[in-house]
Amino acid sequence: MSSHHESIIREPLVTGDNITYARVTNEVLIPVENKPNKAWWIGFTVAALGALLWVVAVSYTFWTGIGAWGLNKTVGWAWDITGFVWWVGIGHAGTLISAVLLLFRQNWRNSINRSAEAMTIFAVICAATYVVSHMGRPWLAYFCLPLPNQFGSLWVNFNSPLIWDVFAISTYFSVSLVFWYTGLLPDIASIRDRAKGTRRRVYSVLSFGWNGSVKTWQRFEAVSLILAGVSTPLVLSVHTIVSMDFATSLEPGWHTTIFPPYFVAGAIFSGFAMVQTLLLIARKVLGFENYITMFHIEAMNKIIILTGSIVGVAYLTELFIAWYSGAEYEQYAFLNRVSGPYWWAYWSMMTCNVISPQLFWFKKIRTSIFWSWVLSIVVNIGMWFERFVIIVTSLHRDYIPSSWVMFHPTIIDVCVFIGSIGVFFTLFLLFLRVLPAIAMAEVKLLLKSASHQAKKKLMAEGKVDPVQAQYYKESLTKYDSVPASETV
Amino acid sequence: MESNKKYWKGIEELQKTPEFVENNKNEFAESLPIEEVLNEAGLNTVTPRRDFLKAMGFGLGAVTLAACQPVPVVKSIPYLVKPEEVVPGIPNYYVSSFNGQSILVKTREGRPIKIEGNPAGLLGNGGTDATTQASVLDLYDASKLKDPTKNGSKASWSEIDAFVKGELNKVQASGKKIRIVSATINSPSTKSVIADFTAQYPSTKVVINDAISYTGIIKANENSFGKSVLPRYRFDKADVIVSFGADFLGTWITPEEFSKQYVSNRNAASLERKKMSRHIQLETGMSMTGTNADSRVPVKPSEEGQAIIALYQELTGTPGTPLLTANKAAANVVKLAAKELLQAKGKALVVSGSNDVSVQILVNAINSVLGSYGTTIDLDNPSYQYTGNDAEFAELISEMNRSEVGAIFFLDSNPAYDYFNAKAFTDALAKVGLRVSFAERADETAALCNVVAINHNYLEAWGDQNAFEGYYTVIQPAINPVHNSRQAEVSLLTWSDNAVTDYYQYVRNNWEKTVLAATGKTWKSVLQTGFVYTGEKPVGTYTFSLSLGNVIPTIMNQGRALAKDIELQVYQNVPLRDGKHANNAFLQELPDPVSKVTWDNFVAIAPKFGEKLDLEEFDLVTVKGANGYSVTLPVLFQPGQAQGTISIAVGYGRTAAGKVGNGVGKNAYPFATVQNGTVQFNGTVTIEKAGGREELAQTQTHHSYEGRNVIRETTFAEYAKDPHAGSGKHGGHKKYDLWYKREMPGHNWVMAIDLNACTGCGSCIVACNVENNIPVVGKDEVRRRREMHWIRIDRYYSFNEEGKSVTEENEIGELQENKDAPNNMDNVSVVHQPMLCQHCDHAPCETVCPVLATVHSTEGLNHMAYNRCVGTRYCANNCPYKVRRFNWFNYWNDSRFENYLQEEFTQLVLNPDVTTRFRGVMEKCTMCIQRIQGGKLQAKIEKRPVKDGDIKMACQQACTSNAIIFGDVNDPGSEVAKALKSERTYYVLEEIDVQPGIGYQVKVRNTPAAATTEA
Repeated sequence: MSSHHESIIREPLVTGDNITYARVTNEVLIPVENKPNKAWWIGFTVAALGALLWVVAVSYTFWTGIGAWGLNKTVGWAWDITGFVWWVGIGHAGTLISAVLLLFRQNWRNSINRSAEAMTIFAVICAATYVVSHMGRPWLAYFCLPLPNQFGSLWVNFNSPLIWDVFAISTYFSVSLVFWYTGLLPDIASIRDRAKGTRRRVYSVLSFGWNGSVKTWQRFEAVSLILAGVSTPLVLSVHTIVSMDFATSLEPGWHTTIFPPYFVAGAIFSGFAMVQTLLLIARKVLGFENYITMFHIEAMNKIIILTGSIVGVAYLTELFIAWYSGAEYEQYAFLNRVSGPYWWAYWSMMTCNVISPQLFWFKKIRTSIFWSWVLSIVVNIGMWFERFVIIVTSLHRDYIPSSWVMFHPTIIDVCVFIGSIGVFFTLFLLFLRVLPAIAMAEVKLLLKSASHQAKKKLMAEGKVDPVQAQYYKESLTKYDSVPASETV
Repeated sequence: MESNKKYWKGIEELQKTPEFVENNKNEFAESLPIEEVLNEAGLNTVTPRRDFLKAMGFGLGAVTLAACQPVPVVKSIPYLVKPEEVVPGIPNYYVSSFNGQSILVKTREGRPIKIEGNPAGLLGNGGTDATTQASVLDLYDASKLKDPTKNGSKASWSEIDAFVKGELNKVQASGKKIRIVSATINSPSTKSVIADFTAQYPSTKVVINDAISYTGIIKANENSFGKSVLPRYRFDKADVIVSFGADFLGTWITPEEFSKQYVSNRNAASLERKKMSRHIQLETGMSMTGTNADSRVPVKPSEEGQAIIALYQELTGTPGTPLLTANKAAANVVKLAAKELLQAKGKALVVSGSNDVSVQILVNAINSVLGSYGTTIDLDNPSYQYTGNDAEFAELISEMNRSEVGAIFFLDSNPAYDYFNAKAFTDALAKVGLRVSFAERADETAALCNVVAINHNYLEAWGDQNAFEGYYTVIQPAINPVHNSRQAEVSLLTWSDNAVTDYYQYVRNNWEKTVLAATGKTWKSVLQTGFVYTGEKPVGTYTFSLSLGNVIPTIMNQGRALAKDIELQVYQNVPLRDGKHANNAFLQELPDPVSKVTWDNFVAIAPKFGEKLDLEEFDLVTVKGANGYSVTLPVLFQPGQAQGTISIAVGYGRTAAGKVGNGVGKNAYPFATVQNGTVQFNGTVTIEKAGGREELAQTQTHHSYEGRNVIRETTFAEYAKDPHAGSGKHGGHKKYDLWYKREMPGHNWVMAIDLNACTGCGSCIVACNVENNIPVVGKDEVRRRREMHWIRIDRYYSFNEEGKSVTEENEIGELQENKDAPNNMDNVSVVHQPMLCQHCDHAPCETVCPVLATVHSTEGLNHMAYNRCVGTRYCANNCPYKVRRFNWFNYWNDSRFENYLQEEFTQLVLNPDVTTRFRGVMEKCTMCIQRIQGGKLQAKIEKRPVKDGDIKMACQQACTSNAIIFGDVNDPGSEVAKALKSERTYYVLEEIDVQPGIGYQVKVRNTPAAATTEA
């Protein structure tokens, strides 16, 4: 892609001096080609224990029945579907970054798309575990697939949003996986070329015979674009369909036409927050500061503030429409959210999702690694509460007051949720060890054009307008994209 | 032109190389490797890629085919010798009798599985109460004794007989007394057996000891009119009913009969005649009857007597000292009641739940003033349901203490549990030599006996009953005795060396001699009809003419004695009543109609009073009675409870009931006291916080309907002006529909539920449990809000404030905060709404099920295919009525539910027409699809269309008040079609257009103009 020079006034996407292709490969492959360090082991142990907790909690649920959870006759979904929607939402950033930003030629995606897509795949796996484990009879989950069967005309219910979900999630998962893997091919080939013995053989198979010829690259580019084209509608469709689980029902608080755009915005919001959570740490621990720069962090924070505001507007719209509709049950549902027994969940959601991202208007906070990370966690919490508010506070008090109840989670509910986070991090940490966390090939594309050293060279050669060069230098300090020592 | 162009196939042909020429001789240029393929080398060793795929394909196909083998067929063995009239799959019905009510016992393949009221029976309109519905489970109670016991160990009947006879002879010789302690006996045959027994052992006497006695009324009638009887009250003839603490719809004397009578003046038919009775209730705790009253005022137990005196004074115009000064609301309502009663003279009825003779004498005086005798009270056709005399049992205890009693028999009586002074009784009992219990189980009293001669369950027994004058019902067995039990009467006959020890013969002989001889009916016809009614005796009028000179001061003194500390009312609740059936899981899980509490009793306190005592709901408190007895129970805030009082239900705290009932709640009987010779269920207590909290298992935790039009009500005055009042049916509006209209060419099964007929008793819930094999989930799971009932009764409180009904949470909160009007929470109205699957024509559950496990039928029903359900619970979430129930666990085989219905023996009660549901599956009301199917098949066999009334729902059949009507709305002549045409009909949540199939009829209250009820 874009190997032409880009305007000098743009901020550099790769910082540091003496960045060569070899150095990129060497740096990115450090975790893949070496023995894990202590930090990884600690992280992995904690995550694996979490995953074990998940196995125990889900096995217990399978063994005894859904009664192991805190659900009841009125609240039929709670932490399960909250967790499901939360994970699916998180999964959205990956596709957005890899597909939509690719189509829009946003080159800054090159250094974050790999991890973001891995995160997507693992998050969708976590979501899928909920889809199966929340069923009363999970061993019959295949009933939800339109399989030919011996029951004559017995088919799935194409009217049911849950069936749409099955299609949406499985399509999303497979397309994301293919896209991610396609992008991995040149990088796997790089690992293969540097490896020996069994490792080499394994990566050789995994690289699908990548030979680096011009034709291969050309096809690679074409496939990437096609897949980006295929994935882009999915960014919108998946969470739209998930939102229809609620929107097409007649529960007050669920039955809302605003849900599709609001859910998509929320999904991107939470997805970027999770990317921040992961990459701010990975960048530091794995030494990727030159590739994931403050520019990247700030750009993602800007997306968070945008989507966070969309979500905030959606919340207010819901309140307004509830009042404006004059519909008794709708009005009560929202009054109950704001001031009912679960008011704390609503206000946690409001604080975490609407108020706290607004802090990113401050440049200081936006460019602070510490605050970015803290707020990314806050947003993750807030988005979990959003789903909890939508699901539980709508269900627990709906039409018939005699059935109004409170929902109290059991320890198993909590364990399944914490366990799913464990599963997610186990998968992510394993990913870091076996595959490059940064798309090396794509970052290398930027070296000649969008890196700080390339721009310095251009300036040194005097090929740029001095006014613009001055602007560039100033912006570096102003936006502290590059450490002060490197600015000249 | 001839073309001589030559085409060549390859350079070889052009050049004609020798190889080409050589090869071209053969048909195939290159030799085919046929040999190679067919020889061994071609067939084995390396598998080529294509062969691999072939093998895979074949393998997959073969495995698939092999897997398609059908489910193994389990063959059931047919009868070797088929009993006559038993056709597998076809139920047989036998008439029998329970608590004096004629019933039908449904048996399948020889086992009783369901009780229905005898439609022709006289007590309950073909309906039954919850106890009767649940009684079938008692037959399969795994906690019962399987053999008779002697000194706590298993013994044979011959050993028992030898021992008891020997002992009896010794007692006879020693000149000591023989006593038979029994609950009221109204069985002519049992009485005859006892008479025969007494002939053999002349020192025998029967002591009637009812857990809840009506001695007060009987004694008062003896005093006032010289007739020592419990009269038959005729609520159907009363236009104005004033009840002082009598829970006549729930627990008082014969509630199912009273419900039938009461509702007949308030149901749709009555309203159409523009007639509705008026019911005023003054009581301490909120009873089920109180929830149905048009005007209800809470009074303390100490004020109840005063209120009756005040009423008497108002009615007779006798001036007296001002009464009820502390309870202005009660004083006002008494004035109002007096006015209304006088207007309805001859059609008025005043009843009191008190067991005090003086109070009942005063009530007699009032009824006499009102001309009730001969109209609403019938002393000449009395009730024989309770004939106990409290003094006799007290006398028995002193006899035992004096060691005058040599032998004692307990028949259907358990005083060690339900006598208020159980310790005095058990101490005295130790002095009796021969102690025989006829209990089915080793209950509290049986545990103290030398011999437990286990009795049959009533479904295994012959017998008869005489609930009221002239009404004789027969008990006939529906199954062979399951255990090694023997009918108590047979035991008595054996021990008294009677010539006839076959009780069937004995009962028959007795009937031939008496009832049959008098009526000319045959025994066979009685076994078919179930009862004989010899007709009403002429009803006389009675006038009260005694002086009340002593009565009024006695009542005043009693009131004064009660008016200290906190006043306690001990009451029976509807599910457990006196606690006899405490081991019945269906009854334990039946929510109390008022509090909606299951599996526990509790201390009911008015919310305001609770606040005053610094209590919060579910706080554990220790209640200590004047006699030093104390219990620790959780607090329940009960709107409508009188300030300064608490109520505790009896029937709980059993220690030897069985696995289900043991340790559920605390025993409240010991709080009762004896005053003026009768046991009275009130007293004064002190309350202390015991520390800690115990959440009660309630099936409903939000108690107001938030002003939503799921409940629609009106007043009788409004209704009389406009029958549409309250139903929201005024004016038409155009409807638009997203969905196509469902075609229901054949039947369209629907239901109509009259909120004005439903009293909230919950008998339908138990009927549904038994009919549809509903699992019992226990206290812990109910607390988690997971009870499985397919039909529930929603009970809503609304508070009447300045003529307005306050139903919304925040307004109720304001009411509670209002310090200026401390009693404004007392004026509470209640409505009961049976709620079950509405079988919506546009069912929201159906559209969301991913696997089509819940679908619509062409007969307007919403079906549930359990086998298809994967358990996403989406349908339940999307059900606006929240009537779907999920199997959270495998209730039929999970150790945490093993106490309820898991015994193989207990599971014989299951209805074989209804499958039990596995865990992870959604279930809900099916509209008794098995009954619909049965009714259709029957009609088909008889080659006729289904008639209205052929098919009855289990809930409908159990309802004494006929509040539920089921039928085909496509048949314009059907009851249900007519009922749904009523102006009062509305559909719950009709505005969301799910098109529910169940129409409700507006609740009508016969309340007077607002001003008069103002406190």
